[in-house]
Amino acid sequence: MELAFAAPDEGRDLVQDMPPPPRRAVLAWRDLARGLSWSWMWWALAWQDIKLRYRGSVLGPFWLTLSTLLMVLAMGVIYARLFHADIHVYVPYLAMGLIIWQLISGLITDGCQTFLASEGVIQQVPIPFSIHVYRVVCRNFIVLGHNLVLVPIGIVALDLPVDWHLLEVVPACVVLALNGVWIGIFFGILSARFRDIPPIVASVLQIAFFITPIFYPLSALGNYRLLADINPLFAAVDVLRAPLTGVAVAKYSWPLLLISTAFGCGVTFAVFARFRGRIAYWI
Amino acid sequence: MAFVRLRGVSVEFPIYSGGSRSLKKVLLNRTTQGNIGKDARDRVSVLALSDIDLDIRHGDRLALVGVNGAGKSTLLKVLAGIYEPTRGQAHSSGRVSALLTASVGVNPEATGRENIVMRGMFMGVHPRQMRAHVDEIADFTELGYYIDMPVRTYSAGMLIRLCFAVATTFAPEILLMDEWLSAGDAGFLTKAKRRMENFVSGSSILVLASHNVPLLEEWCNRAILLDQGRIIAAGSVAEIAERYQPGTG
Repeated sequence: MELAFAAPDEGRDLVQDMPPPPRRAVLAWRDLARGLSWSWMWWALAWQDIKLRYRGSVLGPFWLTLSTLLMVLAMGVIYARLFHADIHVYVPYLAMGLIIWQLISGLITDGCQTFLASEGVIQQVPIPFSIHVYRVVCRNFIVLGHNLVLVPIGIVALDLPVDWHLLEVVPACVVLALNGVWIGIFFGILSARFRDIPPIVASVLQIAFFITPIFYPLSALGNYRLLADINPLFAAVDVLRAPLTGVAVAKYSWPLLLISTAFGCGVTFAVFARFRGRIAYWI
Repeated sequence: MAFVRLRGVSVEFPIYSGGSRSLKKVLLNRTTQGNIGKDARDRVSVLALSDIDLDIRHGDRLALVGVNGAGKSTLLKVLAGIYEPTRGQAHSSGRVSALLTASVGVNPEATGRENIVMRGMFMGVHPRQMRAHVDEIADFTELGYYIDMPVRTYSAGMLIRLCFAVATTFAPEILLMDEWLSAGDAGFLTKAKRRMENFVSGSSILVLASHNVPLLEEWCNRAILLDQGRIIAAGSVAEIAERYQPGTG
Protein backbone atom coordinates (compact mmCIF):
# COMPACT_ATOMS: atom_id res chain seq x y z
CA MET A 1 0.00 0.00 0.00
CA GLU A 2 1.35 3.38 -0.97
CA LEU A 3 0.37 6.57 0.78
CA ALA A 4 1.21 10.06 -0.32
CA PHE A 5 -0.32 13.11 1.21
CA ALA A 6 0.23 16.75 1.30
CA ALA A 7 -1.74 19.86 1.73
CA PRO A 8 -1.50 20.92 -1.92
CA ASP A 9 -2.82 24.44 -1.64
CA GLU A 10 -1.07 25.54 1.47
CA GLY A 11 2.28 24.95 3.00
CA ARG A 12 5.80 25.14 1.89
CA ASP A 13 7.39 24.33 -1.43
CA LEU A 14 7.30 20.80 -2.68
CA VAL A 15 10.27 18.75 -1.71
CA GLN A 16 12.64 17.10 -4.11
CA ASP A 17 12.77 13.53 -2.88
CA MET A 18 9.04 12.87 -3.03
CA PRO A 19 6.50 12.35 -5.75
CA PRO A 20 4.23 15.34 -6.18
CA PRO A 21 1.05 14.86 -4.16
CA PRO A 22 -2.08 14.02 -6.19
CA ARG A 23 -4.76 16.64 -6.54
CA ARG A 24 -7.63 16.61 -4.09
CA ALA A 25 -10.21 15.66 -6.72
CA VAL A 26 -8.05 12.72 -7.78
CA LEU A 27 -7.73 11.55 -4.18
CA ALA A 28 -11.48 11.87 -3.68
CA TRP A 29 -12.22 9.94 -6.83
CA ARG A 30 -9.71 7.26 -5.89
CA ASP A 31 -11.34 6.97 -2.48
CA LEU A 32 -14.79 6.42 -4.02
CA ALA A 33 -13.55 3.91 -6.59
CA ARG A 34 -11.32 1.94 -4.24
CA GLY A 35 -14.09 1.77 -1.66
CA LEU A 36 -16.53 0.48 -4.24
CA SER A 37 -14.12 -2.20 -5.38
CA TRP A 38 -13.87 -3.55 -1.82
CA SER A 39 -17.48 -4.64 -2.07
CA TRP A 40 -16.96 -7.69 0.13
CA MET A 41 -15.95 -5.38 2.95
CA TRP A 42 -18.96 -3.06 3.02
CA TRP A 43 -21.26 -5.92 2.24
CA ALA A 44 -19.92 -7.92 5.21
CA LEU A 45 -20.01 -4.85 7.47
CA ALA A 46 -23.60 -4.09 6.53
CA TRP A 47 -24.66 -7.65 7.31
CA GLN A 48 -22.76 -7.55 10.55
CA ASP A 49 -24.70 -4.40 11.51
CA ILE A 50 -27.99 -6.12 10.83
CA LYS A 51 -26.99 -9.28 12.67
CA LEU A 52 -25.85 -7.37 15.75
CA ARG A 53 -28.93 -5.19 15.80
CA TYR A 54 -31.22 -8.18 15.94
CA ARG A 55 -29.04 -10.49 17.98
CA GLY A 56 -31.13 -12.60 20.30
CA SER A 57 -34.44 -11.91 18.63
CA VAL A 58 -36.27 -14.79 17.04
CA LEU A 59 -37.48 -13.02 13.93
CA GLY A 60 -34.30 -11.08 13.30
CA PRO A 61 -34.71 -8.24 10.83
CA PHE A 62 -38.19 -9.51 10.06
CA TRP A 63 -39.30 -7.72 13.21
CA LEU A 64 -39.23 -4.58 11.11
CA THR A 65 -41.32 -6.24 8.45
CA LEU A 66 -43.79 -7.37 11.06
CA SER A 67 -44.12 -3.93 12.61
CA THR A 68 -44.56 -2.40 9.16
CA LEU A 69 -47.27 -4.96 8.44
CA LEU A 70 -49.10 -4.17 11.67
CA MET A 71 -48.90 -0.45 11.00
CA VAL A 72 -50.19 -0.95 7.47
CA LEU A 73 -53.10 -3.04 8.65
CA ALA A 74 -54.07 -0.60 11.37
CA MET A 75 -53.65 2.55 9.28
CA GLY A 76 -54.96 0.94 6.11
CA VAL A 77 -58.37 0.19 7.49
CA ILE A 78 -58.91 3.58 9.12
CA TYR A 79 -57.32 5.86 6.54
CA ALA A 80 -58.95 4.09 3.59
CA ARG A 81 -62.20 5.16 5.17
CA LEU A 82 -60.99 8.70 5.95
CA PHE A 83 -59.85 9.23 2.39
CA HIS A 84 -62.85 7.38 0.94
CA ALA A 85 -60.40 5.16 -0.92
CA ASP A 86 -60.76 1.62 -2.21
CA ILE A 87 -58.97 -0.56 0.29
CA HIS A 88 -57.47 -2.72 -2.49
CA VAL A 89 -55.82 0.37 -3.92
CA TYR A 90 -55.05 2.18 -0.71
CA VAL A 91 -53.42 -0.60 1.33
CA PRO A 92 -50.67 -1.42 -1.22
CA TYR A 93 -50.15 2.32 -1.75
CA LEU A 94 -49.73 2.89 1.98
CA ALA A 95 -47.61 -0.20 2.55
CA MET A 96 -45.15 0.61 -0.22
CA GLY A 97 -45.13 4.27 0.75
CA LEU A 98 -44.16 3.46 4.34
CA ILE A 99 -41.54 0.91 3.32
CA ILE A 100 -39.90 3.25 0.84
CA TRP A 101 -40.06 6.12 3.29
CA GLN A 102 -38.30 3.89 5.80
CA LEU A 103 -35.54 3.42 3.21
CA ILE A 104 -35.24 7.11 2.42
CA SER A 105 -35.36 8.37 5.97
CA GLY A 106 -32.96 5.58 6.95
CA LEU A 107 -30.51 6.67 4.27
CA ILE A 108 -30.70 10.26 5.50
CA THR A 109 -30.61 9.73 9.28
CA ASP A 110 -27.97 6.99 9.08
CA GLY A 111 -26.19 9.14 6.53
CA CYS A 112 -25.69 11.81 9.19
CA GLN A 113 -23.93 9.20 11.32
CA THR A 114 -21.81 7.78 8.49
CA PHE A 115 -18.48 9.04 9.78
CA LEU A 116 -19.44 9.72 13.40
CA ALA A 117 -20.52 6.12 13.94
CA SER A 118 -17.33 4.83 12.32
CA GLU A 119 -15.08 7.02 14.42
CA GLY A 120 -13.28 4.07 15.96
CA VAL A 121 -12.35 2.70 12.58
CA ILE A 122 -11.45 6.04 11.02
CA GLN A 123 -9.14 6.80 13.95
CA GLN A 124 -7.41 3.45 13.58
CA VAL A 125 -7.03 2.44 9.96
CA PRO A 126 -6.68 4.41 6.74
CA ILE A 127 -9.34 2.67 4.66
CA PRO A 128 -11.28 4.66 2.03
CA PHE A 129 -13.90 6.88 3.63
CA SER A 130 -16.40 5.75 1.03
CA ILE A 131 -16.45 2.25 2.59
CA HIS A 132 -18.42 3.68 5.53
CA VAL A 133 -20.89 5.25 3.14
CA TYR A 134 -21.43 2.12 1.08
CA ARG A 135 -21.91 0.22 4.30
CA VAL A 136 -24.74 2.54 5.39
CA VAL A 137 -26.43 2.40 1.97
CA CYS A 138 -26.10 -1.36 1.77
CA ARG A 139 -27.48 -1.82 5.28
CA ASN A 140 -30.58 0.21 4.45
CA PHE A 141 -31.18 -1.75 1.26
CA ILE A 142 -30.91 -5.01 3.21
CA VAL A 143 -33.70 -3.73 5.45
CA LEU A 144 -35.70 -2.79 2.35
CA GLY A 145 -35.19 -6.30 1.03
CA HIS A 146 -36.68 -7.75 4.19
CA ASN A 147 -39.64 -5.42 3.97
CA LEU A 148 -40.27 -6.24 0.34
CA VAL A 149 -41.29 -9.79 1.23
CA LEU A 150 -44.62 -8.08 1.88
CA VAL A 151 -44.98 -7.50 -1.87
CA PRO A 152 -45.64 -11.09 -2.96
CA ILE A 153 -47.81 -11.58 0.15
CA GLY A 154 -49.82 -8.49 -0.74
CA ILE A 155 -50.12 -9.51 -4.39
CA VAL A 156 -51.56 -12.88 -3.43
CA ALA A 157 -53.73 -11.64 -0.56
CA LEU A 158 -55.25 -8.72 -2.46
CA ASP A 159 -55.19 -10.46 -5.83
CA LEU A 160 -53.29 -7.63 -7.51
CA PRO A 161 -52.26 -7.66 -11.17
CA VAL A 162 -48.57 -8.13 -11.98
CA ASP A 163 -46.93 -6.94 -15.19
CA TRP A 164 -43.61 -5.99 -16.72
CA HIS A 165 -43.72 -2.52 -15.12
CA LEU A 166 -42.46 -4.22 -12.00
CA LEU A 167 -39.00 -4.25 -13.62
CA GLU A 168 -38.90 -0.46 -13.29
CA VAL A 169 -37.94 -1.01 -9.66
CA VAL A 170 -34.42 -1.84 -10.86
CA PRO A 171 -33.48 1.61 -12.23
CA ALA A 172 -35.38 3.17 -9.33
CA CYS A 173 -33.29 1.27 -6.78
CA VAL A 174 -30.08 2.13 -8.60
CA VAL A 175 -30.90 5.85 -8.56
CA LEU A 176 -32.00 5.73 -4.91
CA ALA A 177 -28.75 3.97 -3.97
CA LEU A 178 -26.77 6.64 -5.78
CA ASN A 179 -28.67 9.26 -3.82
CA GLY A 180 -27.92 7.33 -0.66
CA VAL A 181 -24.22 7.62 -1.44
CA TRP A 182 -24.13 11.36 -1.88
CA ILE A 183 -26.45 11.90 1.07
CA GLY A 184 -24.21 9.75 3.25
CA ILE A 185 -21.10 11.65 2.24
CA PHE A 186 -22.65 15.10 2.35
CA PHE A 187 -24.54 14.81 5.61
CA GLY A 188 -21.82 12.59 7.05
CA ILE A 189 -19.23 15.34 6.58
CA LEU A 190 -21.59 18.09 7.65
CA SER A 191 -22.57 16.22 10.82
CA ALA A 192 -18.95 15.48 11.64
CA ARG A 193 -18.21 19.18 11.56
CA PHE A 194 -21.43 20.51 13.10
CA ARG A 195 -22.87 18.22 15.71
CA ASP A 196 -26.31 19.76 15.67
CA ILE A 197 -26.98 18.64 12.09
CA PRO A 198 -28.39 15.17 12.95
CA PRO A 199 -31.19 16.45 15.23
CA ILE A 200 -32.03 19.23 12.76
CA VAL A 201 -32.24 16.74 9.91
CA ALA A 202 -34.37 14.42 12.03
CA SER A 203 -36.96 17.09 12.73
CA VAL A 204 -37.03 18.28 9.13
CA LEU A 205 -37.60 14.68 8.05
CA GLN A 206 -40.52 14.37 10.39
CA ILE A 207 -42.16 17.40 8.82
CA ALA A 208 -41.31 16.06 5.37
CA PHE A 209 -43.15 12.83 6.17
CA PHE A 210 -46.36 14.75 6.60
CA ILE A 211 -46.06 17.08 3.61
CA THR A 212 -45.07 14.28 1.25
CA PRO A 213 -47.89 12.13 -0.13
CA ILE A 214 -46.95 8.87 1.56
CA PHE A 215 -49.97 7.85 3.57
CA TYR A 216 -52.43 10.02 1.66
CA PRO A 217 -53.07 9.85 -2.09
CA LEU A 218 -51.68 12.49 -4.42
CA SER A 219 -55.21 13.49 -5.38
CA ALA A 220 -55.93 14.48 -1.77
CA LEU A 221 -53.63 17.48 -2.26
CA GLY A 222 -56.11 19.05 -4.69
CA ASN A 223 -54.91 22.54 -5.56
CA TYR A 224 -51.72 22.04 -3.58
CA ARG A 225 -50.52 19.39 -6.01
CA LEU A 226 -47.54 21.64 -6.82
CA LEU A 227 -46.19 20.74 -3.36
CA ALA A 228 -45.68 17.18 -4.55
CA ASP A 229 -44.48 18.12 -8.04
CA ILE A 230 -41.51 20.04 -6.66
CA ASN A 231 -40.80 17.67 -3.76
CA PRO A 232 -37.80 15.45 -4.55
CA LEU A 233 -38.72 13.19 -1.65
CA PHE A 234 -42.06 12.48 -3.30
CA ALA A 235 -40.26 11.83 -6.58
CA ALA A 236 -38.00 9.35 -4.81
CA VAL A 237 -40.93 7.53 -3.21
CA ASP A 238 -42.98 7.61 -6.40
CA VAL A 239 -40.44 6.09 -8.81
CA LEU A 240 -40.20 3.00 -6.66
CA ARG A 241 -43.76 2.82 -5.38
CA ALA A 242 -45.54 3.23 -8.70
CA PRO A 243 -44.07 0.09 -10.34
CA LEU A 244 -44.56 -1.88 -7.12
CA THR A 245 -48.22 -0.95 -6.93
CA GLY A 246 -48.83 -1.28 -10.66
CA VAL A 247 -49.56 2.37 -11.51
CA ALA A 248 -47.80 4.89 -13.75
CA VAL A 249 -45.06 7.07 -12.32
CA ALA A 250 -46.15 10.72 -11.92
CA LYS A 251 -45.13 13.02 -14.75
CA TYR A 252 -42.43 15.02 -12.96
CA SER A 253 -41.02 12.33 -10.71
CA TRP A 254 -38.19 10.99 -12.87
CA PRO A 255 -36.99 14.37 -14.22
CA LEU A 256 -37.09 15.90 -10.74
CA LEU A 257 -35.31 12.96 -9.16
CA LEU A 258 -32.61 12.88 -11.83
CA ILE A 259 -31.97 16.60 -11.54
CA SER A 260 -31.75 16.37 -7.75
CA THR A 261 -29.42 13.38 -8.04
CA ALA A 262 -27.09 15.16 -10.45
CA PHE A 263 -27.08 18.29 -8.32
CA GLY A 264 -26.51 16.35 -5.11
CA CYS A 265 -23.69 14.30 -6.60
CA GLY A 266 -21.97 17.38 -8.03
CA VAL A 267 -22.08 19.43 -4.84
CA THR A 268 -21.12 16.45 -2.72
CA PHE A 269 -18.11 15.59 -4.86
CA ALA A 270 -16.79 19.13 -4.47
CA VAL A 271 -17.36 19.01 -0.70
CA PHE A 272 -15.81 15.56 -0.41
CA ALA A 273 -12.74 16.53 -2.42
CA ARG A 274 -12.25 19.64 -0.30
CA PHE A 275 -12.87 18.20 3.16
CA ARG A 276 -12.02 14.51 2.88
CA GLY A 277 -8.70 15.04 4.63
CA ARG A 278 -10.39 16.85 7.50
CA ILE A 279 -12.88 14.15 8.46
CA ALA A 280 -10.39 12.36 10.71
CA TYR A 281 -9.74 15.62 12.54
CA TRP A 282 -13.38 16.46 13.08
CA ILE A 283 -14.74 13.24 14.47
CA MET B 1 10.82 -2.03 0.70
CA ALA B 2 8.95 -0.31 3.49
CA PHE B 3 9.76 3.30 4.27
CA VAL B 4 8.17 6.41 5.70
CA ARG B 5 9.29 9.89 4.82
CA LEU B 6 7.97 13.10 6.31
CA ARG B 7 9.00 16.53 5.12
CA GLY B 8 8.01 19.67 6.94
CA VAL B 9 4.93 17.99 8.34
CA SER B 10 2.73 20.05 10.61
CA VAL B 11 -0.58 19.12 12.08
CA GLU B 12 -2.83 21.82 13.34
CA PHE B 13 -6.14 21.13 15.02
CA PRO B 14 -8.69 23.85 14.64
CA ILE B 15 -10.77 24.37 17.75
CA TYR B 16 -14.28 25.41 16.92
CA SER B 17 -16.08 27.54 19.40
CA GLY B 18 -19.38 26.50 20.86
CA GLY B 19 -20.20 23.54 23.03
CA SER B 20 -21.26 21.42 20.09
CA ARG B 21 -17.73 20.31 19.34
CA SER B 22 -16.58 17.27 21.20
CA LEU B 23 -13.25 17.63 19.44
CA LYS B 24 -12.28 19.94 22.22
CA LYS B 25 -12.49 17.13 24.70
CA VAL B 26 -10.29 14.97 22.55
CA LEU B 27 -7.71 17.70 22.31
CA LEU B 28 -7.65 18.41 25.99
CA ASN B 29 -6.96 14.75 26.55
CA ARG B 30 -4.30 14.50 23.95
CA THR B 31 -2.31 17.67 23.73
CA THR B 32 -2.37 19.08 27.20
CA GLN B 33 0.86 20.86 26.47
CA GLY B 34 0.60 21.70 22.76
CA ASN B 35 1.11 25.15 21.35
CA ILE B 36 -2.10 27.08 21.24
CA GLY B 37 -2.11 29.69 18.51
CA LYS B 38 -4.40 31.44 16.09
CA ASP B 39 -4.52 30.81 12.38
CA ALA B 40 -5.05 33.26 9.55
CA ARG B 41 -8.80 33.35 9.97
CA ASP B 42 -8.42 33.96 13.66
CA ARG B 43 -9.60 30.52 14.62
CA VAL B 44 -7.91 29.14 17.68
CA SER B 45 -5.85 26.14 16.80
CA VAL B 46 -3.50 23.75 18.48
CA LEU B 47 -0.25 22.99 16.75
CA ALA B 48 0.13 19.31 17.57
CA LEU B 49 3.08 18.72 15.25
CA SER B 50 5.37 21.34 13.87
CA ASP B 51 7.69 21.02 10.90
CA ILE B 52 8.62 17.37 11.32
CA ASP B 53 11.29 15.93 9.05
CA LEU B 54 11.66 12.23 9.53
CA ASP B 55 12.97 9.27 7.58
CA ILE B 56 12.15 5.80 8.78
CA ARG B 57 13.84 3.05 6.83
CA HIS B 58 13.52 -0.65 6.45
CA GLY B 59 14.67 -2.38 9.64
CA ASP B 60 14.23 0.65 11.88
CA ARG B 61 12.64 0.14 15.25
CA LEU B 62 11.93 3.64 16.30
CA ALA B 63 11.03 4.72 19.81
CA LEU B 64 8.92 7.85 20.24
CA VAL B 65 9.68 9.52 23.51
CA GLY B 66 8.14 12.60 25.05
CA VAL B 67 5.87 13.81 27.81
CA ASN B 68 2.08 13.68 27.52
CA GLY B 69 0.94 15.96 24.75
CA ALA B 70 4.32 16.14 23.05
CA GLY B 71 2.69 14.87 19.86
CA LYS B 72 3.52 11.16 19.94
CA SER B 73 0.01 9.93 19.23
CA THR B 74 -0.54 12.54 16.55
CA LEU B 75 2.70 11.55 14.86
CA LEU B 76 1.65 7.90 14.91
CA LYS B 77 -1.62 8.87 13.26
CA VAL B 78 0.21 10.75 10.55
CA LEU B 79 2.47 7.75 10.00
CA ALA B 80 -0.59 5.51 9.79
CA GLY B 81 -2.13 7.73 7.12
CA ILE B 82 -5.07 8.65 9.34
CA TYR B 83 -4.28 12.34 9.66
CA GLU B 84 -3.36 14.15 6.50
CA PRO B 85 -0.76 16.75 7.44
CA THR B 86 -2.09 20.29 7.36
CA ARG B 87 1.29 21.39 6.02
CA GLY B 88 4.17 19.53 4.46
CA GLN B 89 4.26 16.13 2.84
CA ALA B 90 4.18 12.54 3.90
CA HIS B 91 5.05 9.59 1.75
CA SER B 92 5.15 5.98 2.77
CA SER B 93 5.20 2.54 1.31
CA GLY B 94 4.40 -0.72 3.04
CA ARG B 95 1.44 -2.44 4.64
CA VAL B 96 0.63 -0.53 7.81
CA SER B 97 -0.83 -2.03 10.94
CA ALA B 98 -1.58 0.43 13.69
CA LEU B 99 -2.35 -0.32 17.33
CA LEU B 100 -3.29 3.14 18.46
CA THR B 101 -6.10 2.82 20.95
CA ALA B 102 -7.02 -0.52 22.38
CA SER B 103 -10.72 -0.17 22.97
CA VAL B 104 -11.67 1.97 19.99
CA GLY B 105 -12.85 0.10 16.94
CA VAL B 106 -13.87 -2.92 18.95
CA ASN B 107 -17.52 -3.82 19.03
CA PRO B 108 -18.28 -4.66 22.66
CA GLU B 109 -21.41 -6.63 21.84
CA ALA B 110 -19.73 -8.90 19.31
CA THR B 111 -17.75 -11.94 20.40
CA GLY B 112 -13.98 -12.12 20.33
CA ARG B 113 -14.18 -14.29 17.25
CA GLU B 114 -16.38 -11.77 15.44
CA ASN B 115 -14.14 -8.90 16.45
CA ILE B 116 -11.12 -10.73 15.11
CA VAL B 117 -12.84 -11.12 11.77
CA MET B 118 -14.02 -7.51 11.82
CA ARG B 119 -10.62 -6.04 12.68
CA GLY B 120 -9.09 -8.24 10.03
CA MET B 121 -11.55 -6.83 7.56
CA PHE B 122 -10.47 -3.28 8.31
CA MET B 123 -6.93 -4.40 7.58
CA GLY B 124 -8.14 -5.53 4.18
CA VAL B 125 -8.25 -9.23 5.01
CA HIS B 126 -11.22 -11.16 3.71
CA PRO B 127 -13.36 -12.78 6.47
CA ARG B 128 -12.79 -16.22 4.97
CA GLN B 129 -9.05 -15.79 5.20
CA MET B 130 -9.30 -14.35 8.69
CA ARG B 131 -11.43 -17.20 10.01
CA ALA B 132 -8.63 -19.58 9.14
CA HIS B 133 -6.43 -17.70 11.60
CA VAL B 134 -8.89 -17.37 14.46
CA ASP B 135 -7.67 -20.51 16.22
CA GLU B 136 -4.06 -19.43 15.99
CA ILE B 137 -5.01 -16.05 17.47
CA ALA B 138 -7.11 -17.66 20.20
CA ASP B 139 -4.10 -19.78 21.01
CA PHE B 140 -1.74 -16.84 21.28
CA THR B 141 -4.12 -14.75 23.37
CA GLU B 142 -4.87 -17.65 25.76
CA LEU B 143 -8.45 -16.46 25.81
CA GLY B 144 -9.82 -19.99 25.91
CA TYR B 145 -13.57 -20.09 25.64
CA TYR B 146 -13.72 -16.32 26.15
CA ILE B 147 -13.12 -16.14 22.41
CA ASP B 148 -16.85 -16.87 21.95
CA MET B 149 -17.99 -14.37 24.58
CA PRO B 150 -18.92 -10.74 23.91
CA VAL B 151 -15.88 -8.52 24.15
CA ARG B 152 -17.54 -6.35 26.80
CA THR B 153 -16.84 -9.18 29.25
CA TYR B 154 -13.09 -8.95 28.63
CA SER B 155 -10.55 -7.43 30.95
CA ALA B 156 -8.31 -4.66 29.63
CA GLY B 157 -5.41 -7.09 29.40
CA MET B 158 -7.45 -9.57 27.37
CA LEU B 159 -8.46 -6.84 24.96
CA ILE B 160 -4.84 -5.78 24.49
CA ARG B 161 -3.85 -9.35 23.71
CA LEU B 162 -6.64 -9.71 21.21
CA CYS B 163 -5.86 -6.47 19.37
CA PHE B 164 -2.14 -7.14 19.36
CA ALA B 165 -2.60 -10.65 18.03
CA VAL B 166 -4.82 -9.51 15.19
CA ALA B 167 -2.55 -6.64 14.22
CA THR B 168 0.46 -8.93 14.03
CA THR B 169 -1.16 -11.92 12.35
CA PHE B 170 -0.20 -10.91 8.84
CA ALA B 171 3.35 -9.69 9.33
CA PRO B 172 2.82 -5.97 8.71
CA GLU B 173 5.62 -4.08 7.05
CA ILE B 174 5.04 -1.05 9.23
CA LEU B 175 3.77 -1.63 12.76
CA LEU B 176 2.78 1.39 14.82
CA MET B 177 2.05 1.04 18.50
CA ASP B 178 0.96 3.59 21.05
CA GLU B 179 1.87 3.43 24.70
CA TRP B 180 -1.11 1.40 25.82
CA LEU B 181 0.79 -1.73 24.84
CA SER B 182 2.95 -1.39 27.92
CA ALA B 183 -0.21 -1.84 29.97
CA GLY B 184 0.04 -5.55 29.27
CA ASP B 185 1.56 -7.75 31.99
CA ALA B 186 5.08 -9.10 31.90
CA GLY B 187 4.04 -12.50 30.59
CA PHE B 188 2.23 -10.92 27.70
CA LEU B 189 5.10 -8.59 26.86
CA THR B 190 7.53 -11.49 26.65
CA LYS B 191 5.18 -13.39 24.38
CA ALA B 192 4.49 -10.30 22.31
CA LYS B 193 8.17 -9.65 21.85
CA ARG B 194 8.76 -13.19 20.68
CA ARG B 195 5.93 -12.87 18.19
CA MET B 196 7.26 -9.57 16.93
CA GLU B 197 10.77 -10.90 16.51
CA ASN B 198 9.45 -13.33 13.96
CA PHE B 199 8.87 -10.54 11.53
CA VAL B 200 10.62 -7.43 12.82
CA SER B 201 14.01 -9.10 12.66
CA GLY B 202 13.63 -9.75 8.96
CA SER B 203 12.31 -6.60 7.40
CA SER B 204 9.73 -4.02 8.31
CA ILE B 205 9.46 -1.02 10.53
CA LEU B 206 8.34 -0.70 14.10
CA VAL B 207 7.39 2.61 15.70
CA LEU B 208 6.61 2.42 19.38
CA ALA B 209 5.54 5.26 21.64
CA SER B 210 6.02 4.63 25.32
CA HIS B 211 7.17 6.03 28.64
CA ASN B 212 8.57 2.68 29.61
CA VAL B 213 12.31 3.15 29.01
CA PRO B 214 13.39 -0.47 29.67
CA LEU B 215 10.76 -1.65 27.22
CA LEU B 216 11.96 0.80 24.59
CA GLU B 217 15.57 -0.18 25.13
CA GLU B 218 14.66 -3.78 24.64
CA TRP B 219 12.51 -3.33 21.55
CA CYS B 220 13.99 -0.39 19.66
CA ASN B 221 17.24 0.60 17.99
CA ARG B 222 16.58 4.30 17.35
CA ALA B 223 14.73 6.98 19.22
CA ILE B 224 13.45 10.49 18.77
CA LEU B 225 12.44 12.87 21.50
CA LEU B 226 9.37 14.98 20.89
CA ASP B 227 8.56 18.15 22.72
CA GLN B 228 5.64 20.45 21.94
CA GLY B 229 5.20 18.90 18.52
CA ARG B 230 8.84 19.17 17.48
CA ILE B 231 11.64 16.63 17.23
CA ILE B 232 14.21 18.04 19.64
CA ALA B 233 16.63 15.12 19.63
CA ALA B 234 17.34 11.92 17.77
CA GLY B 235 19.77 9.13 18.47
CA SER B 236 20.13 5.81 20.20
CA VAL B 237 17.52 4.80 22.73
CA ALA B 238 20.00 5.13 25.59
CA GLU B 239 20.98 8.69 24.62
CA ILE B 240 17.42 9.81 24.23
CA ALA B 241 16.31 8.10 27.43
CA GLU B 242 18.97 10.05 29.27
CA ARG B 243 17.75 13.37 27.87
CA TYR B 244 14.18 12.50 28.59
CA GLN B 245 13.24 13.38 32.11
CA PRO B 246 9.60 12.66 32.65
CA GLY B 247 7.73 15.20 34.66
CA THR B 248 9.89 18.22 33.91
CA GLY B 249 8.49 18.72 30.42
